Amino acid sequence: MEPRGEIFVLGLVLSIIVLLISVFISIWARRFTRNLGDYYVAGRSIGALNNGLAMVSLALSLTTFIGLTALILKGVYIAIALYASFTAAFIGLMLLAAPYLRRHKSFTTMAFISERYGSKTLRFISVFIMLIVSVLYLGGNLKGVGIIFYYLLGVPEIVGIVVGGLVVTLYVTLGGMYGVTYNQTFQTIVLIFCLMFPVAVVLKALGAAGWFFPPLGYGNLVPLMNEAVPHFFWPMLVHPIVYIAIFLGSFFGIIGLPHFVMRYFTVRDAREARWSTVICVFLVGLVNTTVYATGFAAMYYMRTQGIDIPEAAYDYMVFILLDALSGQGWLAIAVAGSVAAALSTIAGLLLIMGAGLIHDLYSELKPEVDDEKKLKLSYAAMFVVGVLVILFSLNPPKFILEAIMWSFGIAAAGLGVPIVLGIWWKRTNKYGVGAGMVVGALIGLYGWIMVGYLGMDPVTIPFPIFAKYFYGPLGWIKITAVAVPVSFILTVVVSWLTPPPPLELQKQVDVMHGWQDYDQKRYNGKGLPITVIVLSVLIMWFMTTLYDVFPK
Amino acid sequence: MSDESRKSYKLEVWVTAICFIIVAITGGFFSSFVVILNERFFDKVPTPEQLVQHYGESMFVAKEGLTVLGFPLHYFLLIMLSWIGVTIVGAIWCIVMDRLEEKQRA
Repeated sequence: MEPRGEIFVLGLVLSIIVLLISVFISIWARRFTRNLGDYYVAGRSIGALNNGLAMVSLALSLTTFIGLTALILKGVYIAIALYASFTAAFIGLMLLAAPYLRRHKSFTTMAFISERYGSKTLRFISVFIMLIVSVLYLGGNLKGVGIIFYYLLGVPEIVGIVVGGLVVTLYVTLGGMYGVTYNQTFQTIVLIFCLMFPVAVVLKALGAAGWFFPPLGYGNLVPLMNEAVPHFFWPMLVHPIVYIAIFLGSFFGIIGLPHFVMRYFTVRDAREARWSTVICVFLVGLVNTTVYATGFAAMYYMRTQGIDIPEAAYDYMVFILLDALSGQGWLAIAVAGSVAAALSTIAGLLLIMGAGLIHDLYSELKPEVDDEKKLKLSYAAMFVVGVLVILFSLNPPKFILEAIMWSFGIAAAGLGVPIVLGIWWKRTNKYGVGAGMVVGALIGLYGWIMVGYLGMDPVTIPFPIFAKYFYGPLGWIKITAVAVPVSFILTVVVSWLTPPPPLELQKQVDVMHGWQDYDQKRYNGKGLPITVIVLSVLIMWFMTTLYDVFPK
Repeated sequence: MSDESRKSYKLEVWVTAICFIIVAITGGFFSSFVVILNERFFDKVPTPEQLVQHYGESMFVAKEGLTVLGFPLHYFLLIMLSWIGVTIVGAIWCIVMDRLEEKQRA
């Protein structure tokens, strides 16, 4: 894909303004950071509205602007199913984990797993898994910054990756969680404004009657679109296990992704945690449905205008569309919004990686170190992590959303399962969790190395226990339908076959659910583990069926 | 466990389970149901020529039926349920849990 051809000064100026405001907010917010708790969890003082807005910008990374549009163009209906599931997954996160995690009073996901199961080894394993999923997630987002710089300025993607990476590293290092939270709130407002208005302009240019409300404003374009692209809204008939894998990956992946969970440790109490999720899911849905409109408008535009854009350039489609159909001002606004979206997600990920290394790894190895020194080390660690991620991102994935999907799958099996069972089943112990999270994460990681990193055809990967069944469009997603059930089954079965956890660990479950007293019978029945095992086995069996019915 | 406590516990578990099932269906599995049941409800199966024309031999598609606000019904339901639907379910759960929390404190 060729760059735009000339330096887009207005877009550059607005992007720099967003970057400068972000750094300024961090410097301003630094005054609130007095100790380690302030640095990592903002003194647990964030309200529901502020946290909800901050979560929106975490959820709406640059992949929403760029990757989703590309996936809609590539995958049509599955892309919508994927994001529908991702939107609903926030409520899943709230129902299964959010308020309970807040009552646990940990700093991070890794600390929760370690303290809930009474194991330092699990803390180290979960830090390792966290680093893998965070780097995968970051790689996609930093590539997105590179895409913006390349298309608008003609400079190599690497320049955008380095510049964007350094700026966000700077403001995360300076401001800690206070800075990240206020920045994310600011960036949410910026990105909602910078997405809704330009898309409305595009829809108006295409002739949509309801252009002023993009989520549903393109409905009257559908008949025209059906003429231009007759199959566009037909749901693709892939094996249903693909949709189940998407469900497992998004619902348990979001619980396992530590930068989402970490937001709940910052709020005042469980009530604020709950309501912040409702605010978040409403706004995330609003933006996601607007992005669907962008993808459809792009497809409609391509087909009606007879423009053939190569698949490799689909990640640029938002900007191509705005460039062609709206004024330069709207394009510049969308560019600034994209930069804001990228920064917010990268900031959240950098913070959790720094917290994981210093709070969960270094502090465990050197418990005698005082908080003041840890705080200084946190600043240094955050900076080093930022630089390392920039280096990793120099060889980014082909499509940015694919890296994110892999990280969701690995996070679901490696971290999501132990969190959910740790909250809802007292009998879960460190042996079960160790077995489940290691094997589950390895299955997801194995799939990513073979398919995502080495680029092998899923059907021909070595040790083809299930490889035969990874056929069809986005067939590799199905590996999540193996990794998550295996993680559940191993955790439950091994926990059952080994001694129950000590009483003080089981008491944490009642405390997390808000009980003042303790009762051994609560959250300790056989119904949940049996249901989990039955459903897990059914899902794995289902994947091996209907091989001849669906496309290869 | 007192009767009041048992009642609160059951309420928490069952309300959470029901809400999770609803959200899982509307957000997670709904697409799958649409795909599986589409042919049965709308009885419109694409011909081999249509398949080859639009997707090549590697994909199958099922044709849509009713429309709402210009959208195919399945698509409209999917985006509305996975957005407004789950937001409402989430808000109802929050209200129930707020009340439960007040009871626990008392």
